[in-house]
Amino acid sequence: MTTNTLVNSKLVCVALNDKAQLAALASTFNEAPYKKPPTQPVLYYKPRNTWNIDGAEIEWAKDFDGNDVPAMAVGASLGVVIGKETCRVSVDEALDHVGGYTIVGDFSLPEESYYRPDIKGKCLDGSAPVGPEIVSAEKIAKPDALSVCININGEQKSVFELANMQLSVAELISIISRIMTLQPGEIIAVGFAGERVAVAKGDKVEASIEGVGTLTNTLGGA
Amino acid sequence: MRHARIIFDGRELDIDIAADDTITTSEGEVLDVALDSDAITWLPPVKTPGTIFALGINYADHASELAFEPPKEPLIFIKHANCLTGHKQVSYRPDNIDYQHYECELVAVIGKTGKNIKREDALEYVAGYTVCNDFAIRDYLENYYRPNLRVKSRDSLLPMGPWIVDTADIPNANALRLTTTVNGKVTQDGSTKDMIFDVPFVIEYLSKIMTLNPGDMICTGTPHGIVDCQPGDTIVCTIEDICSLETRMVSEQEYYGDKY
Repeated sequence: MTTNTLVNSKLVCVALNDKAQLAALASTFNEAPYKKPPTQPVLYYKPRNTWNIDGAEIEWAKDFDGNDVPAMAVGASLGVVIGKETCRVSVDEALDHVGGYTIVGDFSLPEESYYRPDIKGKCLDGSAPVGPEIVSAEKIAKPDALSVCININGEQKSVFELANMQLSVAELISIISRIMTLQPGEIIAVGFAGERVAVAKGDKVEASIEGVGTLTNTLGGA
Repeated sequence: MRHARIIFDGRELDIDIAADDTITTSEGEVLDVALDSDAITWLPPVKTPGTIFALGINYADHASELAFEPPKEPLIFIKHANCLTGHKQVSYRPDNIDYQHYECELVAVIGKTGKNIKREDALEYVAGYTVCNDFAIRDYLENYYRPNLRVKSRDSLLPMGPWIVDTADIPNANALRLTTTVNGKVTQDGSTKDMIFDVPFVIEYLSKIMTLNPGDMICTGTPHGIVDCQPGDTIVCTIEDICSLETRMVSEQEYYGDKY
């Protein structure tokens, strides 16, 4: 485990929060096994073995036979860092509980199904770099106006405007705080571009948000 | 030996409990108190909780109860430490729901760091066993990362304890009677022998994906016999030779108090 992680205690991620992705999958989500579109934010944890830092090499995953997996993908999100205990807060008060902002990278196996918790895909050691630092909340007036860019080896591969999130930062904080009390230093990755970006061994991945910084990691295995 | 964490006489203590129920603190002080005394406040037994893995539909009879085919590989989800609470503490029932049930489960507590652990070596990585009650709210199930966090990862919905029993003291964790009572009436009566994927299998499986660390916990699923629980109910989950875990249900308003 990385000892100098920026995460305290909990990193909760929101999947399927890109309106365009939800629209594209609308017919799939009306069929089995989903049967109807999600009515609540779709949440998953990146547990503590996944936490990593800016600049770290990300291990290329192995399959169950010990061979390198054929494909990996990356998503990046604004990371909302909780500043004080957050329990059952309203949407209006939610942003008052934010201490700062950072960037969360989510390296994983390609997302194929959302039906069951994706332990195999999402819980890989060191697969959640967070950084490069935590920018104080006062410096970001409107978190929902930010956009998240992913560059691979210097070439832009993905841009996600947070204005296109199904649920806003404040709405997510409010909803999640009614499931679980959030503590200072816990981080919510509020939304990823629906289209995850394929990565290859040795790739340099830069996730950036204007005013928050650039999180740089390199894939191992090359 | 058994190990627990308590508040006693205003002090938070790590304790060892001997076969004759003598309680000794980590400082070597023998406490003059009985195990069932109300002067003891029981804390969750893992001092620094790590990742909490829980298995779904891991008993064949429970799978049929929920109208599921038994899985071919383990269905594993994660709960966070915000869910943990101790023996004789409270769990809450959210307002306006129809069905919240307990799940009495054997818990393996990881004691040593490991990756790619072989099944036959797996118990070397287990510090001990305890009991949890992995509550679920069926009203909140949706078919996305099911069972989703809203169902499972709520404040207070993972009572655990009261203590951890050393692995060496449990020669066969797959032959233990498991029972639950609600207000004194037996509602669940099964055996860990009916588990589909046992602790060594799950440790091998998880450690192929990721490193397991001390303080991680594996909650192994529950057999047939789940019922709805209401505020005021007292639920006792017992696993033979491990421990009995008592929980009182309260309303959402009683649980959150001023924050409600």
